This record gives sequence, C-alpha cells and structure tokens, in this order.
Amino acid sequence: MMNDRSSVSRTHKLKKFVTDGAGRLIIFMTCAVLLWAFFSVFIIERPDRYLPSPLAVILSSADMIYKGSLLSYYSDTLTRLIFGGVVGILIGIPIGLMLGLNRTIADMFYPLMNFFQSVSGIAIFPVVVIWFGNSDTTVMIVILYTSFFPIAFNVLSGVRAVPVRYIQAARTLGASRLQIVRDVLLPGAMPSVAVGTRLSVGFAWRAVIAGEMLAGRPGLGNMIFSGQELDNTAMILLGMVMIGITWIILDHYLLRPLEADTIERWGLVQR
Amino acid sequence: MKMVNDFSIALQKKFGRQRLRKLILGSIPFVVIIFVWELNTHYVWLDPFEIPSIAAMWEAIFWLQSDCPDFMAAMQGHNDCNLSNNIMSSVGRVILAAFVGIPLGIAFGILAGVNRTLSGYLEPVGIFMNSVSGIAWIPLAIVWFGVGWETTLFIMLNTIFWLIFFNTMMGVRAVPKVLVQGVQTLGGSRLDTVKSVFLPGAMPSIITGMRMSLGFGWRALIAAEMIGGDSGLGFMIFVSASEFKSEEVFLGVILISIIYLISDRWLLVPLEKWTIERWGLVWKPT
Repeated sequence: MMNDRSSVSRTHKLKKFVTDGAGRLIIFMTCAVLLWAFFSVFIIERPDRYLPSPLAVILSSADMIYKGSLLSYYSDTLTRLIFGGVVGILIGIPIGLMLGLNRTIADMFYPLMNFFQSVSGIAIFPVVVIWFGNSDTTVMIVILYTSFFPIAFNVLSGVRAVPVRYIQAARTLGASRLQIVRDVLLPGAMPSVAVGTRLSVGFAWRAVIAGEMLAGRPGLGNMIFSGQELDNTAMILLGMVMIGITWIILDHYLLRPLEADTIERWGLVQR
Repeated sequence: MKMVNDFSIALQKKFGRQRLRKLILGSIPFVVIIFVWELNTHYVWLDPFEIPSIAAMWEAIFWLQSDCPDFMAAMQGHNDCNLSNNIMSSVGRVILAAFVGIPLGIAFGILAGVNRTLSGYLEPVGIFMNSVSGIAWIPLAIVWFGVGWETTLFIMLNTIFWLIFFNTMMGVRAVPKVLVQGVQTLGGSRLDTVKSVFLPGAMPSIITGMRMSLGFGWRALIAAEMIGGDSGLGFMIFVSASEFKSEEVFLGVILISIIYLISDRWLLVPLEKWTIERWGLVWKPT
C-alpha cells in the first residue's frame, strides 16, 4: 500500500517536472544538443568546417577559457552593454520626460526623433566610422544611439498616460511644478520606464554584437566574426550560444522580473 | 494683411488646426538642421569629408546612376545602374524573404500553437532563436553559404521566420478554448477550427509580429549586407565608407531610413490598426 502510493507520487512528480518550466527547458536543451550532435556526426560531410559537434564546441571553450580570452571577450562585451545601456537610459529618461511634459516641444521634436529612430544604429555605423574611425568610441556611440530611442518614446507615452485628474488634484493642493513632476508624473510613468528599459537593453545588445563585429573591437561579436575568418566554426557556435544564453538570462531573470515588480508597485494607477 | 489672415483661416479650415500646427512645428527642426547643414558647407566649420554638402549628396545620386541608359534599363537591373540596383536588391530581398518567411512562420506557428504540450516545449526554442538575433548568425551563414545573396537572404528569413512563428504560437495559445470547443460542438472539423477560430483569433498577434519582424529584419539585412553581402544598400554604404566617399554614405543612410519609414508608416501601421479593429476584439469568456 505504502509502496503503491509512493510510486504514484513519484510518477506525479515526474509528470510535474516534465510539464514544468525548468523541466521543459532541460528536456528541450538535451534534445537540442542530441539533435545537433546527430546532425554533426552522421549527416554533415565536413563537421569541423560546417557544424562542429557539441563536444568540439565545449573543447574549444575549454581551450579559450584556459587561454583567458573567452572571459576577457565576455567581460568586454558586458561592460560595453552596461555602460552604453545605462548612459543611453540616463539620457533618454529626461528627454522623454521633457517631451511628455510640454506638448509644443513634443510636437516639435517627435517627427525628428521618429526619423532618427528609423535610421537604425547599424545603418548609422559607417557614418560614425567616418567621424571616429574603428574605435571604442564608435561602438559606444552606436550602442547609445540604439538604446536612447526606445526609452525616450516609452517615457513620453508613460507621462502622457498619467490621468490629468491626478495632476489637477496635486495642483489643487498647492503643489509646485517640480513637486508634480516628482510625486505624480515620475511614479506614474514608472511602468513605462521599466518597459522602455527592457526594450532599450534588448536593442543595445544587438547593437553591441553588430558594432563589435563591424568595428573589430574585442568582444563576443568580434569573436564570432574572427571565428569565421580563422575557419574556426566551433568558436562561432560557442559565441552564438553564449550570446543567446546571456540574453535569455538577462531578459528572463533580470529585466522581466524588474518590469513585473515595477508594474506591480507603481502600475496600479486607477483610471 | 487681411489676405494673409483669410488665407491662414482657409488653410486651418481645410486641414484642421491641430494637424497644421503639428506639421509646422514638426518641420521646424528639420528645416533648422538642413539650414545649419547648408551654412556648414559655406563656412566649412567641419570638414566636408565629415559632413558632405547636400548638393554633393544630390550629385551622388546622378553620379551613381551616370552610366545608366534609361529608366527601363534601371528597372531591369542594368549592370551600370549602381544606386537603383542596390535599392532593388535590398527591397527585393525583403519582399522575397517576407513572401517565404511569413507563410512558413504562420503555418508552423499554428501547428505548434494548436497543441498545448508541444507549444510548451517549443516556447524556449522560439525564445532562444529570437535571442540569438539575426546579426549573430551572420558569421555562421558566411561559413555555410559564402559571401553573397544567400547569406543575406538566410539572415533575413531567419529573423522573420522565428519572430512570426513565436508571435503566431502565442496568439494561437491565447485564443480561448471555449471558442474552439464551440466550433467542435457544432460539428466543425480540425481544419474548420484553424480556419475560423485560430487564424482570426491570432491575427492581431500575427500582424504585430509581422511589423516587428520587418523592422528587425530590415536592420539585420543592412548589417548582413555590410558584412556578408555583395549588393544592396548596406553593402553600398559600407564600401563607400571604406573608400571615404562620405556623400554616398549619407545618401545611403537617408535612403535606408526613408524606405523603412515609408513601408512602416504607410503599409504596416495601417494594416496593424485595421487588423486590430477588425479581429482584435475577440470576445473573451468571463
């Protein structure tokens, strides 16, 4: 009897694990790696050139860790992302706020910003290269440029979405303009700031990879690009997997919880 | 004075006061920038190599097209029509990738979304594939296909397909089960549920995915052309930058953004609005 129950609970646990988020991810990862290995070993003709096996990729990563280059590339890329993203967001929030506060300014600069937003950061790259050459400044400017617009536009719409009634209430109670901005508009726009931050960092991440590739500065992007030049496909795959996993970790375990928390804390604005 | 006044009133009546105000206010920064730009070419504060004059950019159009015999030749992709060839190869690639990638993405997305277990497993695939953004695929694509149009097309397809796939799957999953059961109770086949429930229900999400995918895809395409292409606007500006022809670079960048703006504002945004109006208000059981 006891034995029976425990086996039932065990199958139940297994079932729960299989349908659970983390369990699914592990199963999916195992399947994907197995499939990859199968393709690489049995189907592709020259696996070292076209699709190295997972083992080769792990070995190449061990080699690069041993030499210390992988960690230095990784930290270079992350530093660029963090620095560029933070500065872009710090510039974007006040400008978005300014545009949200004043309708005349917004009407004036909105089309201009819209135009420059559609000139994507990657397309502007050759222009920046003409100005600054293939330097770290170039990569930084491209990152700044791409991370600035999403946050600015989101803050703008967030400020606009704060109900006028709240502003009027604060004003009736004798609040100054500064107080209204600090106590009403900023908290009210907080959820859009969080959403914009996530978008900005996402765009910045793509821009970091592309910028490093094009400008040839050391980093993950340059690592996969030089992997192609050196005919080291294992290095390319390693870089791609690292790019994907880093973004998933950043997005799902850092930015999304941040966004959810912000919306929970500040987003319950009653209409 | 009275005439001016009457004229302005008539204008305001015709176009609407708010829209007119927005138009005029919005054009001020553009006018100022162009004015300062022109002043720069006269007084040369910055090297013309860093900021080429507008006239030089305008001439670059004709210079790039100088050997082109006539309009028909440009349309047929004559070898000497540099600019129009590059524009057409970029836009053509977008259109080709959209025509292949969007139906594929929708089909696979619906297949994956109909089955809840399967879609649970495929969700991480979509997230991962969207995270390894199009740009990160470029080196591998070069290894696989070599430098050329296959690489750029692959990058574009890759970006479009996964975004559409993911959005369709999510849209299909968000369709209330009651609606599907309703159709099945009335004797609808599996195909009927797809045709009259899943597809319309997921439509707003699909169209949003389409708009996103073309935005991301256009960016990825430009990057792909720069690194692994042999034609297209991205290729053009990258080559011009390495040859230090800054007027061509500026021209290319402006063309890229104008093409994107036109396709987004006049094609995709109205489409998205119309779809959400038409299909967006799916009744949700309480």
